[in-house]
Amino acid sequence: MSTLLADRIAAQHASTLAALPPQLAGGARRRAAMAALATAGLPGARDENWKYANLRPLERQSFTPAPLNPGAAAAAAPAELPQRLPGFARDVFRDGNFAPALSDPLEAGPARILPLAVFESGSPPAPAHAGRDQRFALLNAAFATDGASIAVPATAAGPARIELLFVASAAAEAGASYPRVELRLEPEARLTLIERHLGVSDGASFVASAVAAELDRGAALEHYRLQELGARAILFDSLSATLGADARYHLRAIGSGALAARSSIQVRLAGERAGLAFAAASLGDRQQLQDTYAAVEHLAPNTRTEETFRGIAAGRARIAFNGRMVVAREARGADSRQSLRGLLAGADAEIDVRPQLEIYTDEVSASHGATAGKLDEQMLFYLLARGLDRETAQRALKWAFLGDVVARIEPPQLRQQIETRLAAQMLGGSTFREFL
Amino acid sequence: MSGTPLLTIHDLTVSVGGKQILTGLNLAVATGEVHAIMGPNGSGKSTLAHVLAGRPGYEVTSGNIVYQGRDLLALAPEERARQGLFLGFQYPVEIPGVNNVYLLKAALNAQRKERGLPEVDAFEFLALVREKMKLMQIEDSFLSRGVNEGFSGGEKKRNEILQMLVLEPTLAVLDETDSGLDIDALKVVAAGVNSLRSPARSCLLVTHYQRLLEYVVPDFVHVLVRGRIARSGDRGLALELERRGYDWVSGAAA
Ligand SMILES: Nc1ncnc2c1ncn2[C@@H]1O[C@H](COP(=O)(O)OP(=O)(O)OP(=O)(O)O)[C@@H](O)[C@H]1O
Ligand SMILES: [Mg+2]
Repeated sequence: MSTLLADRIAAQHASTLAALPPQLAGGARRRAAMAALATAGLPGARDENWKYANLRPLERQSFTPAPLNPGAAAAAAPAELPQRLPGFARDVFRDGNFAPALSDPLEAGPARILPLAVFESGSPPAPAHAGRDQRFALLNAAFATDGASIAVPATAAGPARIELLFVASAAAEAGASYPRVELRLEPEARLTLIERHLGVSDGASFVASAVAAELDRGAALEHYRLQELGARAILFDSLSATLGADARYHLRAIGSGALAARSSIQVRLAGERAGLAFAAASLGDRQQLQDTYAAVEHLAPNTRTEETFRGIAAGRARIAFNGRMVVAREARGADSRQSLRGLLAGADAEIDVRPQLEIYTDEVSASHGATAGKLDEQMLFYLLARGLDRETAQRALKWAFLGDVVARIEPPQLRQQIETRLAAQMLGGSTFREFL
Repeated sequence: MSGTPLLTIHDLTVSVGGKQILTGLNLAVATGEVHAIMGPNGSGKSTLAHVLAGRPGYEVTSGNIVYQGRDLLALAPEERARQGLFLGFQYPVEIPGVNNVYLLKAALNAQRKERGLPEVDAFEFLALVREKMKLMQIEDSFLSRGVNEGFSGGEKKRNEILQMLVLEPTLAVLDETDSGLDIDALKVVAAGVNSLRSPARSCLLVTHYQRLLEYVVPDFVHVLVRGRIARSGDRGLALELERRGYDWVSGAAA
């Protein structure tokens, strides 16, 4: 990071601090985060693991949180939000601020959802293990205006279901937006969480979001992340999760929005037999950039990972997925599987899928595959030989390609919403399914 | 047998990857006829089927193909399909994520559009597909699965014939649709093929076995050896081949 940028962030932080909600542990956390950021700096273009990210917007961005503009409330009318999903509580945040009028937290079940702004103290500390690739999470912690803190106790009554909608409506000139989620699943607790980032205008918003999750022994989290920001938005997203023994984390991420989106993910399998199933899809068209860096650390015996990535780059889009797997010496019996595939759907598009393995024990079972290429010629010919026109056939195959990820979205209404969106965005509306 | 010419292949020479596979092939099929094409492994049967369907990667270095009075080689694969040419694949591909019913309907509608007809009515389509499924003994559940996804070898072949029955092609080119079928499935497939036999339709049956020809009786049998037709005859030729083996014809062709 240039010292210029560092100084500017520090100065903006200092002048904003007084105006930020003090409740985030009395501002102590903010100062700590800011100090850590000043030491570590934001990533630069030469940083390992950041070469695909577009860091240029940082140079001119104001990091001061976008002011709560009551006039913009109309810009996020309920009608513009995705339909409510039955059985899910909904909390809506606009430009990082809780929007009670658009929310309905009643159905959360056993979970306690608290907007961070009303937290007095004792909110979970920023993860101590966050690595260098989580530095945007520090930026978020330093400036966050609000967010959701969710604590889930164990219960026999089935999983808690919560949908968090983060709506970006402010233009970048107005400042940045800092969505924040802190999750804590107590032993054996279960939660289905939908985290959705969307834009209600085509305005260029700057969003730096952060999610920190702790899964205690035997807890199970099913986490859907949908990035549907507007066509000019810039996103830096950080997700860190730590899993205790026997915890299970199902993470499904679909990114199709924003002009440039970078997602930095760190999952620590810290307890024995902890398991991660991560399926992600990135779709890019025009000049879009979708860059994901996912670091998974196997730190305990018999931990498991199954990672699936499917990316489609059309137009002049660039898509990158860097899947790093670390199997520590202690992680005897670890099982790590990776299937990363990229599809080039435009002559000027670019795609880079990269598995990165670091294994420090012999007792590991690992299978890793990464391919990037064009549509399967045999499949294409089969469809053409049945009379489908080339464009329809190609779209059908793109759809098939995404199936490995989309099919894992379990809540039926959510899957339907996602399919409809993806189909409209890149497939001319068809979902390539008919029923008798 | 007294139909009008449907397909005329004249002196066809085709290379794949620089290697000449078809070496001056001549064949004429009139409407209403069923022709069987036999021949040893690697003799060029699938190559011929693929060239007819327009698969990329085959270089036609000489000769021509006339289909329904038009230059077939000038048409894109999807145009050939819409004009009634159907290829039953020797190895049907699996396309998980695109379901069978979608493909059936899209294929049928593509053909109807070509003929200036509106999209097929939902009820009509349902009735049509159900009737053909019954004939092919395919269960409903198969159709909502991905195209050929997880189908056994025999199920894939039956699915090819189901598609053919729905599309009612003018010229069906069936590449070893009988391979890998158990005896009951063979009868089912044969019944499917026979149900389409009419003075208006023709069929090119690529097969290794005389057995299929007991059920689908061909008007002509040709033996393809090293890229050209070495011998033609009636169904008696298939029986003689079974007795004497390909060496008999290969020797004569050399
Ligand atoms: N891409 C290719 N490059 C080189 N040779 C090829 C290629 N594709 C096919 N061939 C060769 O062309 C020849 C004819 O193949 P073809 O599949 O047409 O035979 P076939 O008669 O259908 O055999 P089978 O009875 O085994 O199905 C074979 O020798 C095959 O190896
Ligand atoms: Mg063959």
